[in-house]
Amino acid sequence: MNILGISAHYHDSAAALIADGVPVCAVQEERLSRHKGDAGFPLLAIETCLQQAGIEREALDAVVFYERPMLKFDRVLTCTLRAFPESWRTFPKAMKNLLGEKAWMRGIISSHLGVPARKVLFTEHHQSHAATAFLTAPTRRAAIMTADAVGEWATFSVGEGERGSNGTTKIRRFREIRFPHSLGMLYSTFTAYLGFKVNEDEYKVMGLAGYGQPTLVEQVRKLIRRTPDGAFALDLDYFEFHTTAERSYSLRFVELFGPPRNPYEPIDLDTAEGQRFADCAASVQRVLEDTLVDLAQTLHQETGLTDLCLGGGVALNGVANVRLLAESGFERIFVPPAPGDAGCAIGAALYCDRIHFGNPDRDLPDHPFWGPSVDGSELARIAQEDGHHIEKLSENVLIDQIAGDLAAGRIVGWMEGALEFGPRALGHRSILTAPHTTKMRDRLNREIKYREPFRPFAPVVPVEAAERYFDIPPGGTRLARFMSGVFPVRPEWKPQLQAITHVDGTARVQVLEPGMAPRLHALLEAYGRRTGIPVLLNTSFNLAGEPIVNRAVEGYSTFLRSKIDILVAGGTRVTKRTSAMDKTEAGRMKEEVA
Amino acid sequence: MDLPRPHERPTAFDRMLTPVHRWIWSDTDRRVQKLLRFGETETDGGRDILRAAEVTSDPLLRRLYLEHAIDEFRHGVLFRHRAAELLRASQTGSNTGFQGDWLAPGGHGLDDLQVDGESDQNMLAFLHLSEKAAASRFSVYRDVMQHDLPTRAIFEEILHDETFHMNYTLTQLARVEPRLHKRHLWRARLSRLWKSYLRLATGIAAVLGSILLTIQYFVLLPPFAWLAKRAARREHFGWTKVAPGRNDSLDRQY
Ligand SMILES: [Fe+2]
Ligand SMILES: [Fe+2]
Ligand SMILES: [Fe+2]
Repeated sequence: MNILGISAHYHDSAAALIADGVPVCAVQEERLSRHKGDAGFPLLAIETCLQQAGIEREALDAVVFYERPMLKFDRVLTCTLRAFPESWRTFPKAMKNLLGEKAWMRGIISSHLGVPARKVLFTEHHQSHAATAFLTAPTRRAAIMTADAVGEWATFSVGEGERGSNGTTKIRRFREIRFPHSLGMLYSTFTAYLGFKVNEDEYKVMGLAGYGQPTLVEQVRKLIRRTPDGAFALDLDYFEFHTTAERSYSLRFVELFGPPRNPYEPIDLDTAEGQRFADCAASVQRVLEDTLVDLAQTLHQETGLTDLCLGGGVALNGVANVRLLAESGFERIFVPPAPGDAGCAIGAALYCDRIHFGNPDRDLPDHPFWGPSVDGSELARIAQEDGHHIEKLSENVLIDQIAGDLAAGRIVGWMEGALEFGPRALGHRSILTAPHTTKMRDRLNREIKYREPFRPFAPVVPVEAAERYFDIPPGGTRLARFMSGVFPVRPEWKPQLQAITHVDGTARVQVLEPGMAPRLHALLEAYGRRTGIPVLLNTSFNLAGEPIVNRAVEGYSTFLRSKIDILVAGGTRVTKRTSAMDKTEAGRMKEEVA
Repeated sequence: MDLPRPHERPTAFDRMLTPVHRWIWSDTDRRVQKLLRFGETETDGGRDILRAAEVTSDPLLRRLYLEHAIDEFRHGVLFRHRAAELLRASQTGSNTGFQGDWLAPGGHGLDDLQVDGESDQNMLAFLHLSEKAAASRFSVYRDVMQHDLPTRAIFEEILHDETFHMNYTLTQLARVEPRLHKRHLWRARLSRLWKSYLRLATGIAAVLGSILLTIQYFVLLPPFAWLAKRAARREHFGWTKVAPGRNDSLDRQY
């Protein structure tokens, strides 16, 4: 049975194909269209899924959309009505937006794909999040908690999932909290207030929080209060996201926290103003964590289970995840590699397979590599045409040589196998460097990633050596599998791990099992043999504002535009002609051709 | 003050609009907003051209597109930095008033050209025309920027690149399509015209649509708004139970 899952129209669109109960392909549209955060209908992703499965559209048994569009329409319309007459500006935009395409998904999907309308199905948004979290996790029975900005009406839900011994699967959601009361919206409002991009830069708030003190917790608590039944509610006087699309916080919010940050000014943490912003970030982070921990504790007591599956964009908050592990009472926490809306494509399809069609439960491969594969010979061909130095090396020689490159302080663009599904580069499309000095971090920031200096880089370490360098509590290794947790760097290693140690002494470490990415694991070991420390800095293979690279040619063009020294795809290793030659060549070319 | 070089002469239309441009660029707030917008257009253009470099099978074009894309990314940075400088100096914060965007458009923009799957010929013809248009406008902007020499210097610098872009695209078009390159240019010109017409038409339709919806908002919605507000007041805070059968059917869109 072939089931296609689609997530679209909110932030980054994606498609996933499940064949006979197992994912064959899952990919975000942005990786293919090369427009970051592409929210359009994911035609390219769907095409890629079908190709990878080797099937035609007619062979699809069902196409599942990850939310119920009419319910969403209902929410938007209701909120507009409630905000009358302030919503007069938003109303035409919202109506055109929704009535244009988004409300008619059955027809749209059926006409785009040429499948009969009866094959088009819908799951609820938080149901999809719950399914992604539970059905991809290696657990038989677990509590489920989902939290995001908003789906249709729900913004938060709790429930439970169970795989029966007879192959049946159940997902039950007990209760939910509804828009406009939303932890995701609270966090996003601070994202906007701090001058970052909403739905994209939330992790910057988390990074900035490390530089601040939670001195404004009392103020943040004015914005979100706990209700007598143990849920939470926002004080809407401080917000505007529910009435207008133009601004998410109100004047009262500004009275409480001071003027917002100008997005075009860099944050200077040495000034009082810069420190205020860091304190704001630390405070909202603290309140988010406290609320999540409390809600999870209740869920733990209620279910008595040891495992918790987390879904929704809020589950990308690695600091909160670690506090949940430490304080909620759950022993194991599972966060999928794509807990956000893109990941719902896989969840919706799995839900349809296991629960709607009642197909038997299957063990799923426990990795994030569901996208297209990279082709080393494609890289060799284009790099050769352009006169760069290429080598095609056998496995062992390549690993050894790259370990040498890294030890010599070179920056390596590393592409292998299938593309990751989800926002993190987990070892198949990564920029790798030595993790030892702040000099390297600054060089990466300055020459390649152009990021704010307060944002940390993440390390990757083989599972066998993780405990030596990082203070990982029981259950933490699971969180670190997909970089979903932030853990302390052991003090004695901090001097040797400066580039990946955040100001608060932590790191968002990826703990790598050999089975998940064998070549990267081998590379880490080879690097360890040379330098004594089998840890590398691992950052996503993309430049600022661009999606992570997918094909070899995209890695190649990124390599040429940046100061990455070495590019690897499959067994091909490419070094640039020296930059001096490059300059004259470019100049000569410009003159000749012009 | 140097005269425009022959290849970056503004078109008659752009020259005619010089007083308008002078007015648009005279105000600092407007200038900041325009520079920010230009920064975005240049960066977007850079992305499209980068994509062209990634999809072409012609190695020479790949190298040229790549150089070109790097230029556009740099232009984006130049515009953004200048806007940030002006912002810091003005202290008034950004203010989005009337920007006159259609009167003083930015640089590139491939007219929604789908780069993937476009032939080298079409791509070059489109690029040539849009670079030419950009060079024409930027030379006018440079000329009306006498009161702001740093911004003027940026336009000057960028114009230099645009001239290269405009020229190499033409040379390359003649190389890959020695016989029919003129026809390609005409086709691209017509297509640009058609797309501007479509943009204008959809723009007008959007404005009309908004007006109609706004009228409906004030005429039809008040009673419903009253009901919605009343319902909202009665809505309870906190948990809502998810009824067990609520998600049994995957057929519903609601
Ligand atoms: Fe969501
Ligand atoms: Fe430009
Ligand atoms: Fe240009």
